[in-house]
Amino acid sequence: MEDIASRIVDKAVSLGCQDAVADVIENRSYQIRFARNEAVISNQWRESSASVFLVHDRRVVATDIKDLTKADEAVERLVKTAKASQPNPEYAGIAKGPFRYARTRPDPKVLSLDEGGKYVEAAVGGAVDQGAKECAGSFWKYEDEHFLATSNGVEGHDHRASLYLSIRALVSLESSGHGIACATKLSQFTPEKAGQKAGHIASLARAPKSGKAGRYTVLFDPLIFGSLTDQVGGRLSAWAVLAGLSPFGKKVGKRVASPALTLYDDGSADSIARKRFDAEGVPTRRNVLVNKGILKTYLHNTSTAKKFKTKTTGNAGLVSPDSHAVFVKPGDRSRDEIFSEVKDGLWLTNTWYTRYQSYVNGDLSTIPRDGIFHIRNGEVVGALKDIRLTDNLLHLMKNIVALGDEPEQMMWWGEVSVPNFVPYAVIKDVGITKSAE
Amino acid sequence: MNAEMDLVDFAVDHARTKGATYAEARFEKQEPENFILKNGVLDALYVGHDQGIGVRVLANGALGFAATNTLTKSAVRGIVDDAVKIAKASRRKTKITFAQEDSIAMNWSVPESKKLADVPVEEKIAEIRDVDKEVTGLGFKLAARFFNLSDNRIRKYFANSEGSHIESYSPRLRVFYFLTMLEGAAVEQTARNYGWSGGWEGVSTWGLSDRVIAEARSMHKSLTEGKKSPEGKMDLVAGPQVAGIASHESCGHPTEADRVLGREAAQAGKSFIPPEGIGMKVGSELVNVVDDPTVEHAIAYYQTDDEGVKARRRYLYKEGRVREFLQNRETAAALHTRSNGAARAVNYNVEAIVRMANTFVEPKDHTVEEMLEDVKFGVYMKTFMEWNIDDKRYNAKYAGREAYLVENGEVKHPVRNTIIELTTPAFWSAVDAVGKDLYFEAGFCGKSDPGQALDASMGGPTIRLRNVYLR
Repeated sequence: MEDIASRIVDKAVSLGCQDAVADVIENRSYQIRFARNEAVISNQWRESSASVFLVHDRRVVATDIKDLTKADEAVERLVKTAKASQPNPEYAGIAKGPFRYARTRPDPKVLSLDEGGKYVEAAVGGAVDQGAKECAGSFWKYEDEHFLATSNGVEGHDHRASLYLSIRALVSLESSGHGIACATKLSQFTPEKAGQKAGHIASLARAPKSGKAGRYTVLFDPLIFGSLTDQVGGRLSAWAVLAGLSPFGKKVGKRVASPALTLYDDGSADSIARKRFDAEGVPTRRNVLVNKGILKTYLHNTSTAKKFKTKTTGNAGLVSPDSHAVFVKPGDRSRDEIFSEVKDGLWLTNTWYTRYQSYVNGDLSTIPRDGIFHIRNGEVVGALKDIRLTDNLLHLMKNIVALGDEPEQMMWWGEVSVPNFVPYAVIKDVGITKSAE
Repeated sequence: MNAEMDLVDFAVDHARTKGATYAEARFEKQEPENFILKNGVLDALYVGHDQGIGVRVLANGALGFAATNTLTKSAVRGIVDDAVKIAKASRRKTKITFAQEDSIAMNWSVPESKKLADVPVEEKIAEIRDVDKEVTGLGFKLAARFFNLSDNRIRKYFANSEGSHIESYSPRLRVFYFLTMLEGAAVEQTARNYGWSGGWEGVSTWGLSDRVIAEARSMHKSLTEGKKSPEGKMDLVAGPQVAGIASHESCGHPTEADRVLGREAAQAGKSFIPPEGIGMKVGSELVNVVDDPTVEHAIAYYQTDDEGVKARRRYLYKEGRVREFLQNRETAAALHTRSNGAARAVNYNVEAIVRMANTFVEPKDHTVEEMLEDVKFGVYMKTFMEWNIDDKRYNAKYAGREAYLVENGEVKHPVRNTIIELTTPAFWSAVDAVGKDLYFEAGFCGKSDPGQALDASMGGPTIRLRNVYLR
């Protein structure tokens, strides 16, 4: 596979390309989807492809080659297309290698795992033990192997494997909870605990009453806080800033969050998205994005870094930079202490469907799902339903008043797009709306 | 495609020899092109040549699916073996069955007057670059402009162990644009999406330049003349885009049978409509909402679904009541009915699940003027920006992009960020007039795990809602 990546790059250079990147990927992932407490389908993938990025006279083109036996023809076609395209004056090249990469290896026990049913059963069992009647979710064994070559002297290999389980437990349509388990080592994979959490929240959420609109102090469970920090990570891509899709434009060096928030991106740290290098081959590393509430940098590839007169952060995707994994520096509150922070407010456990009225301003709404609770003096005094969080991303970040001391790795369908390591968080003055009577 | 068809047929036969009680295989070849123009610069051009085979089997009453893009007999044998093995390992207590459907042998394609493959890259780039130049020429302060023109040519061959053999070809075309306009400290943003099944001739049906210019002018008017939207109970005249998104979100999604049965519970969610909810009242008697894959040139056009079932028009809501769920063969069997051809997959490497196609409010006979002239006080919301809905599809929000105050039948000044936040029954029960100006826009519909963002369109005529709370 290394040969194929190098051959694609050599072919592109021989056809006059100034820059070329080929990432040959072997995907051997496996999944079980479950619903109503048992498997509804099991999926297995065996795919090999090459993600290719070429630049010819500043004309930027990209493709995925699926038939690797015809890679030369695909490159020839792509170069021909590039010649007919138009130059990108903002294109500023790819990183110059070679680079040295961290020696990371996947857990052999994860690699050899070929049956996930017992993990599904453990998760469902954990939820049912807590009172859940119906569970649904997914178990994943992710495994992919990357062979990267670039025309700037980069050669890299990265074998990635991890385990993931997402479970939603329901007592009824309106009483549900969600749990997540993520691990790169089999010994650290805790599907039963995820099921217990989902089941516990679902049971606690029995007989919810309609919530009321207003402004509340809200305790965010790690899963929903991860949705918010995922928004922050994604909107800090320099590409998003340039496209009008971010409220962080012209805010580097300025306060964008409470002093309680320090947030960084780190593709090199242990997470289920750990990677040795970005799409240009730059070694991944820790980049502090927000330090004690002050915005330090956007996420960059070589081209966006040049436009912003800085250096790449090692976050290149094929076209635009993006976050690898978001980490929130934990606070000092234990779980009990952080619940006690809320004298009269809400505890939200999950959300979905986050949408913006203005990306530039950060005006958004998102719909809490699963357990929603009224808290008084740190104690749950009732379950609620049918509310919407309607606020502003910057306002939310600036109003963080406390963070828990135990971050958890969260990633979830649609809302938490990359792993976010997040603790419980308390945010004051959060806008809540609801459907009109 | 003969070699690939042989592999598909081999996969189905091999699955039966391995003990599958049902097997299907689908070859897909997709050839997408994607042009990204950001702030006047062609950021990148993506050209894809994607192909592979996916196999789904029923074995021991459980489903297994496996996919490969290595198009050799040994690779296909390998994924069939995988699919059967993982299905058998499922240990289900209740057995999955499929509703009985006719086997089909057919070959269908969407006509292209001007083949997408024959249109030079330069012409495709020019289509959005020219529009970008025109809109910047208006002199408004456009802080960011983003245009994405994409086309795709999708060839499929489907076969199953019941004797179906279906070839198809679907060329598709789409443009998405996103504008950010400033006026002092105020910001207005818009996102719009147009689609077409067919050839390059679809571009001329969009009138993209006129639309973008009109949109930019309305944004400027909203920024310079817009006032706070009134709050309280009033009438709402909602344009086709608003009717379209509401029909997709609060009619299409809750009638997806897999949601109703809980198969999507951990991802896209469930439904406020229970399995026995056919006939349940959800709106006024004027409300008919349809999902129809056979709307010619709509971006989600198809003649057979990805389980080999013939497509047909479906009334989701009829005269204000739930009429029919969207079904695939698995959900249809569970609900003791027949599939209505709603199974679709985004590519060869994922299973086909229940999906909407082209969803819309069925038009009636009012003109927009007639609907407006009966409004004493209210809002005419032509388009929206922000929207969302809960995972049981009951509490929806639509925030206005282009909206105007209406007083005594007259359209007055723009109003900014009008919010509709209503339950599904409250929204549809308030409808007292339905227009005849049926119009579609395209969208992507997200569902399943792994996520399948699928071509869909949504539309409707202008509709009028009486005495609803707006803010």
